[in-house]
Amino acid sequence: MATDFGEGSTAEANEYETLMSTTDVQLLKTAWRNEKAAPEILQFQVQLVKRATEQIQLMEETVEEFEESGMDPLTVSLYQMDLDRAQFLLRSYLRIRLQKVEKYMFYIRKNDNLRNRLSEPERVFVNRCIDDMEKHLGDTVLSKLPDNYQSARRQSIISEEDDMVPEPQLETFVACKSSNRFVSLRLVDSERPLEMERHDVSFVLYKVIEEKVGVDIDLV
Amino acid sequence: MHGRLACRLIKELTTGEKGQLNPFNAKLLNEVAKECSENFLVLQSLISKMQEEGLDFQTTRNADHYGALINHLSLIRNKRCLMAYVYNRAEMIQNLAWTVGLRLFELPEDIQEKLSHSEKEYFKRHSAALESYMSKVDLDLNVDMVPPKDPYIKVRVLDDVGEGIVVSDKAANFARHSMHFLKRTDAELYISRGLMEELTG
Repeated sequence: MATDFGEGSTAEANEYETLMSTTDVQLLKTAWRNEKAAPEILQFQVQLVKRATEQIQLMEETVEEFEESGMDPLTVSLYQMDLDRAQFLLRSYLRIRLQKVEKYMFYIRKNDNLRNRLSEPERVFVNRCIDDMEKHLGDTVLSKLPDNYQSARRQSIISEEDDMVPEPQLETFVACKSSNRFVSLRLVDSERPLEMERHDVSFVLYKVIEEKVGVDIDLV
Repeated sequence: MHGRLACRLIKELTTGEKGQLNPFNAKLLNEVAKECSENFLVLQSLISKMQEEGLDFQTTRNADHYGALINHLSLIRNKRCLMAYVYNRAEMIQNLAWTVGLRLFELPEDIQEKLSHSEKEYFKRHSAALESYMSKVDLDLNVDMVPPKDPYIKVRVLDDVGEGIVVSDKAANFARHSMHFLKRTDAELYISRGLMEELTG
């Protein structure tokens, strides 16, 4: 009996943990952390952002109703605090993405794979960013240079590819955590694969886990 | 000497406090651009001289070839320095839009004085792009810059904000040096403009 009970509670705890880790707030937090720690822009979480926005709106209405109905101010402020936190997560998530777009605009636009990770408004934003930056660079510098040297992305007319585009540094170390199951990583400089159990934290090159971020591995 | 002016221009980026703009040095920038044109003239004349002598520019390796090459490389180096100067400043200007405000008049005068005309234009256009994004997602991304700890914070008014402003339906008298207990989201706007400061501890 006693052992049964013990097993039951672990299973329950696991279930509870899984349930908690799949709430939208938790998912948003994970997406936000990944985005914050990754050197390049990640896939935009369309559905998640949509749900979060709706839930925040609903919360705002609820808090307003509470305020009007003269509910206990302490309770209201607890709800408000929860709301503020969710809002911060959402805003910060979108903000970090925009700042990455600002930083790597030329790189993102010429790379189809990265461009496809953007949301529609972000795509509009990156195009405007580039237009504005090109105009500014053109007016201030490029128009004063000889004809063959007027490209914003190439050093001169004889450059065969873009050689003046700021790129994110992917060869950088990040702290990461295996999110759901056993993950095996092939490291560049070692013959033995790095094996990570669930919740194990490792410090590895971003390039190695690039494709697993948000799937098997989350950044911390 | 080739490239010395451009080096001085780049150094201007790093002197002064980190993240702080120095006045836009149009004079030096134009001098470097002029050096680029001079490089180009020499480059062209060397190439045409070789052509007149009937030499193939691609394969001949004589003094004129290397002379032209030096001028080409020097021009590219100057260009990269010029671009780096303007681009890095543009990044700082993007940062201003996030930390200070989206409107030109919201920037303190001493910052405005440091910007060139084109930089002011760039600031306006870039802010407009940001604003248009924010209105599309229907979220103001310029508030809530730090994770919230408490929904209410204590602030002191630093400047005469005026009595006209209404914070969360309550009109208070925001006289200079008066202290208030406000919703963080309401106060942040004024804090970022330097009109209020948060009191901690």
